[in-house]
Amino acid sequence: MAPLQEPFFIVMNKFIIQVNGTVYGSTASFRALRFTESVLSLGHQVSHVFFYQDGVMNSSALICPASDEHDLHRAWTKLATEHNLHLVNCVSAALRRGVLSAQDANENRKDAFNASDKFTMGGLGELVTGIEQSDRLICF
Amino acid sequence: MKKVCVIFRHSPIGNTSSREGLDFAMLSASFEQEVSVVFTDEAVLHLLPEQQPELVGSKDYLATFKALSLYDIDTVLVCQESAKQFGLKESEFNFEAEMASVKQIQLLIQQANEVVVY
Repeated sequence: MAPLQEPFFIVMNKFIIQVNGTVYGSTASFRALRFTESVLSLGHQVSHVFFYQDGVMNSSALICPASDEHDLHRAWTKLATEHNLHLVNCVSAALRRGVLSAQDANENRKDAFNASDKFTMGGLGELVTGIEQSDRLICF
Repeated sequence: MKKVCVIFRHSPIGNTSSREGLDFAMLSASFEQEVSVVFTDEAVLHLLPEQQPELVGSKDYLATFKALSLYDIDTVLVCQESAKQFGLKESEFNFEAEMASVKQIQLLIQQANEVVVY
């Protein structure tokens, strides 16, 4: 006869992820991606992935590495689509680095924009309220 | 409300890490979070007076550190070990901050809900 199983409780946490590392040249964003995949696979929740500092470069739709290289921009957008993740850029950090949404380009009279529409432009306030509403902030 | 400890560990000149870290600290404070600030490693150089970041193409964000108290950020600690390495004395500090031992900084980190390093 099978032994009686102990009741167990799954502790589900709500994470907010901050990505400060750029899309190529540092491993921070890749580690953030793997961490996010991992917590989601364990049944935790990820409230936002907030891209700050050089992290905003991950949102550029113009990232096009050779086909045998890892495409972090595509990996983030794929993960966001699969899990309905909320990817947010800090708009000030993005504008300083030439990462613009269509609306930013229009407002600043630029000819082109490059931010992928999977990423929304938000303020630092979204990061701060996200931190307050989550169980744990993890920075990369 | 969360206790957020913002640790600066990069030099004020040569990268923009602290500038954006300062924005984060002040915004968190204005969103009613309990913010504390720590300067360690090369970041103790933020405390040096009479710097001119404009000369190296940077905005003078160093002056903004003087506004930390206006944002009710009252706990501003400077790692005394790092300060010693850079020959920095408390009497020279450019804005209100307190020299702190490694133990005091450890305690602050333990009490925080979130720790962010810039």
